[in-house]
Amino acid sequence: MTTTASTPAPTGRRDTAEPAVVVRDLRQHYGDFEAVRGVSFDIRPGELFALLGTNGAGKTTTIETLEGFRRPSSGTVRVFGLDPYGQPAGVRERTNAVLQGSGLLDDLTVDETVDLAHGLATDPRDTAEVLDLVGLSDKGPVAVRQLSGGQKRRLDLALALLTRPEVLYLDEPTTGMDPEARHETWRIITELKEQGVAILLTTHYLEEAERLADRLAIMHRGEVRVEGTLTGVLAGWGDRIGFQLPEDVPTGDLPDLPGAELSVQTRDHALWATYTATGEDVAERAHHAVAALIAWAAEHGTTLRHLQVRGASLEDVFLRVADGASDLLSD
Amino acid sequence: MSTTTTAPAGTRPAISPLKQLLRLTRTEFTLFVRYKTAWMFLGLPVFLAVVTLQMPNDEVLPGFGMADMTMVASIGTITLILGMGHPSNVFTARRESLVLKRLRVSGVPQAVIFGAVTAIVILFSLALAALVAALVFAASGALPRDPLMLLVAVLLSGVMYSLMGLLVTPLVRNAEAAQMAVMVPMMILLFAGGGVIPLEFLPEAARQAMTLVPSTSVSTLVQAAYTGHDVFTGFAGAEERSYPGLWAAALPSLGAVLAWTAVMGLLVRRYFRWDPRQP
Repeated sequence: MTTTASTPAPTGRRDTAEPAVVVRDLRQHYGDFEAVRGVSFDIRPGELFALLGTNGAGKTTTIETLEGFRRPSSGTVRVFGLDPYGQPAGVRERTNAVLQGSGLLDDLTVDETVDLAHGLATDPRDTAEVLDLVGLSDKGPVAVRQLSGGQKRRLDLALALLTRPEVLYLDEPTTGMDPEARHETWRIITELKEQGVAILLTTHYLEEAERLADRLAIMHRGEVRVEGTLTGVLAGWGDRIGFQLPEDVPTGDLPDLPGAELSVQTRDHALWATYTATGEDVAERAHHAVAALIAWAAEHGTTLRHLQVRGASLEDVFLRVADGASDLLSD
Repeated sequence: MSTTTTAPAGTRPAISPLKQLLRLTRTEFTLFVRYKTAWMFLGLPVFLAVVTLQMPNDEVLPGFGMADMTMVASIGTITLILGMGHPSNVFTARRESLVLKRLRVSGVPQAVIFGAVTAIVILFSLALAALVAALVFAASGALPRDPLMLLVAVLLSGVMYSLMGLLVTPLVRNAEAAQMAVMVPMMILLFAGGGVIPLEFLPEAARQAMTLVPSTSVSTLVQAAYTGHDVFTGFAGAEERSYPGLWAAALPSLGAVLAWTAVMGLLVRRYFRWDPRQP
């Protein structure tokens, strides 16, 4: 893949522009089953909103509603101010998607596939440009059925980029890609954001969401359980201060630290203490808790072995939302 | 989370659906030629037309024997086989492989996606109709008396049968199942259309009832167009008509085809599924 810049476009406008996508209290019923239960979010131009969640959380149903394949059971969905159901004019030529599966015609070559998409688009990018962008320039004469899974994913992305969408839905876009292609895809997505594209991303790679998302939501059983900026979401889940409990210190003698909650676990035949600092002073709360802990240790002549301080990771948050569920694999 | 209004609807000029239709039809042509199953659908009507050469050919209209008329009626089976067979096959396969969704999220309207496949059905049907007409000419020495009515019959029936083919797709989960499932209505309509067994052999009441069947209307239209005779109430006593007279006599059959097309269109609109995920 090259780093050739694509067509110049407006810079990211996420701070000022009106939302391109608005979802309000979206509900989707399948008979008695409620797959989506009152989901709301906005996506502004130049913003990437990541929708994460467990199996059956309702992510794909939400995306399919935005793509215009499902009518909401209740609530409203608007793309550029229009109801996207049925992909009306005014929506369809301004949006595109990378679907969860490839959706390619196996009997065409890569060149034929891109040429077809070019011929069907309103204001397409140059076909050579998009193939170069996704690193498939040398695959033009190859039949789609002969591409690897990762190459098909890159071709999916090329087709989505070809139409210069202003709103882009990415449903697990890097599944099946090797690490290099994944990083290159992240670079392309970042460029699209900078060009002002509003992006909705679902992924099971939490690192992907951490790198790309301006805001994110974690869905579970049809509901958004956590939503906000990455920093905001992680701040809400606290900083962790952990160490191995000294053998001569009973659990009950551990100190109360300011703004921190203690939990003790057994791991590798030893007791481990973890303080979770959740004070409002996000920047300094870990410092205050550690300072008090070190002071306590010095006072008691105790060494805190394997002392670690770390912020909450997205994985921590995700696992807590999922109740430690085992259904974290792809839909 | 903001609750402000959204961006105004775009003014980006959209590509015309006609241009999209022509572009997609071009690719559908390429794909049709590459599909082995499509070649089978092309071969079957020709086989059925050739088989009629073995039938007794007692004259039923001036210059046309029963075998000739059955071969003429087989022109109506071309759109039946291609129209029901090809769309049911490709739309099921493409739904399951997300190709249909891919096209729609790329801004291709539903009508264009349906239209391109239907256009290919009609295109190849016209080519086969010309081939069968050449066979009829070789057998009877007669050319179509009203080529326009023949063309209209192929066009309308191509649309009608393609819609019927689309209606099979919600019932099945893969292309193989679609090929099996479509055989049932296809065979019923094939035998009812007079392109395999002459309807003249049926009792009068059964023949009258058959006029409601879409394939019967099509085959009768084709026979009338080819011979110039008013065969809509049977061969016995059928008289040659002027062009306007023939079109007037054809109105009930044309109306039946249009009515079936409208019903199929409504059913497709209601039941066709673009998404492999079951709700």
